Amino acid sequence: MFLVLEGLAKIFGSNKAVDDVSLSIPEGEFFTIVGPSGSGKSTLIRILAGLETPTAGRVLLRGADITVMPANRRPTCMVFQSLALFNHMSVGDNIGFALKMLGIDAAERHRRVETLLDFVRLPQDFLGKPVTQCSGGEKQRVALARALASDPEILFFDEPLSAIDYRLRKILEVEMKDLHRRTGKTFIYITHSLEEAMVMSDRIAIMRDGAIIQIGPPEEIYARPASRFVAEFMGEVNILPVSGGEVAGQPAAGIADGWLVVRPEALRPLGGGAAADISFDARVQNDYMLGSRTQFHLMALDQTLVAELPAGLAAGVNPGDRGRWGFDLGDCISVKE
Amino acid sequence: MRRGLAGYLAMLPIGVLLTIGFILPIGIVALYSVMPPRTFEMTGALTAENYLAAFTDGYWRPLMWSALGASLTTIICLIFAWPTAKALESAGHRWSTAAAILIALPIFISESVRLFGGSLFLMPGGGILAGSLRAWFDLSIGSILNTRLAALLGLIYIHFPFVLFPLILGLSLVPKDQIEAAHDLGASRWQVFWQVELPLAAPGAAIGALLCFVLALGANAEAAILGGQAVTVATHAIEQRFNYAQDWPLGAALTMLVILITALVVFPIMRRLDFDRLIRR
Repeated sequence: MFLVLEGLAKIFGSNKAVDDVSLSIPEGEFFTIVGPSGSGKSTLIRILAGLETPTAGRVLLRGADITVMPANRRPTCMVFQSLALFNHMSVGDNIGFALKMLGIDAAERHRRVETLLDFVRLPQDFLGKPVTQCSGGEKQRVALARALASDPEILFFDEPLSAIDYRLRKILEVEMKDLHRRTGKTFIYITHSLEEAMVMSDRIAIMRDGAIIQIGPPEEIYARPASRFVAEFMGEVNILPVSGGEVAGQPAAGIADGWLVVRPEALRPLGGGAAADISFDARVQNDYMLGSRTQFHLMALDQTLVAELPAGLAAGVNPGDRGRWGFDLGDCISVKE
Repeated sequence: MRRGLAGYLAMLPIGVLLTIGFILPIGIVALYSVMPPRTFEMTGALTAENYLAAFTDGYWRPLMWSALGASLTTIICLIFAWPTAKALESAGHRWSTAAAILIALPIFISESVRLFGGSLFLMPGGGILAGSLRAWFDLSIGSILNTRLAALLGLIYIHFPFVLFPLILGLSLVPKDQIEAAHDLGASRWQVFWQVELPLAAPGAAIGALLCFVLALGANAEAAILGGQAVTVATHAIEQRFNYAQDWPLGAALTMLVILITALVVFPIMRRLDFDRLIRR
């Protein structure tokens, strides 16, 4: 296996930032670690980059133990959240920094920097431009080119898109995916946005309180969240308790006790005697137009439920309406905790 | 009131003070430096005689000693201050505040008092160092008091804080993530120092070095109290010309030469400094 993490742990004082993380990453994978702030994902990636020494555990690259190898000797490179560009240098000197550290002469460095500029689709006249005069998106590309310069085996990304506005982020997400395809390198990416992870990743690990609680391809995480936490992390979902084989006081055949994850699109109004596995009285509070769909907030079962209806169905539903709503158990996911 | 006028009015008090306290005296000194030797009038025929005398009568020696002393002091203080500043600046260190206070505290005590303390400490025979060693360990040592080395050590001791504190400010401007990024991109400790830390901390280091150089160039007490007769510095030579020798024009010429050395060092560095970055941090 290309990269193996064995029982990694990092303890700061009394805080277990990373708690016994073991996983394997094949070469060339786009692997994303998703978690809320404080989940330990940053510490984990810093251990892998060699910027932090783990309290326990090992990191193996192609079978060789690199746990205590300093960052400057690892064949890895990190794109920082702040990008950490050298503001006292030009774009060219930033990109060529790793090559300079390797002792590559100026002429060869210049040639390679030009190639890298092309690769990240920055114009050649950026070479002498001060980094401080670049726009946000340009800086992003300079940081990518700088990280790629020494031809590392693994690229780490520490939430590089989190400070960028929505529209540009969407463009850069696509570029990042494209860059991964063109380089064929292993990308290990961390973010707090599962949505961002879904777009780009081959595989996603969900991290919580220093531990990885679910790992799998995006479709699997979406279709079968392992817990309430993962389901809620994915966006707006409704969580209903299941106890004694019943949901909302109605029998739920084949559903284990725990929680039922009901997606907004699973809920529908039951007009004209229509039936559903589980049904309840609800009052429509608000509606929000989402383009082709409309979202409704319902007061029902002593909580606020979120429902989403396609335009055709939504036309007949208005705030203030009272009526029967329901969903089928087949559209729901059952989780234990 | 117009904006421009308000600005000039705000500048007025310090402008008046600098004119009376700085520009006028320098003008007078500059005029005296081109008066005939040993005159007390400012109306004589202009002459370059005093400047020639400064070099032919051996006054280049005190000028050289002062310039050499100031340069060595600045360099040695910078070398000592860098690791100290790094240690004090490293975040979260419990002792850093206490240590910074201990280093800053001597500034509030008169320089002469501290230098006489140093003199008592270094005194041969019954001095604090030599006497204690003899009483407790039966060790007899010589003394460096009244040597050029003692004068240099005095200069370093007195001027160290003036280098240290601007340097701490300079180092605090170096973003931690840029140091990590450099390391991650393959830079060794030395390469991180040369490529990232030094250029980014340069404004702080330069301000500290300039303060130290200018103060040490004009320093007199260290050489007088710790150096004894071993070395005559520029300030001392100037004082002698004005007081004992009653040769104001030569004293003025020597003063102008010290100002020239200062200007030659200060202005090229000031021009390259980005003070805005230090102020707007």
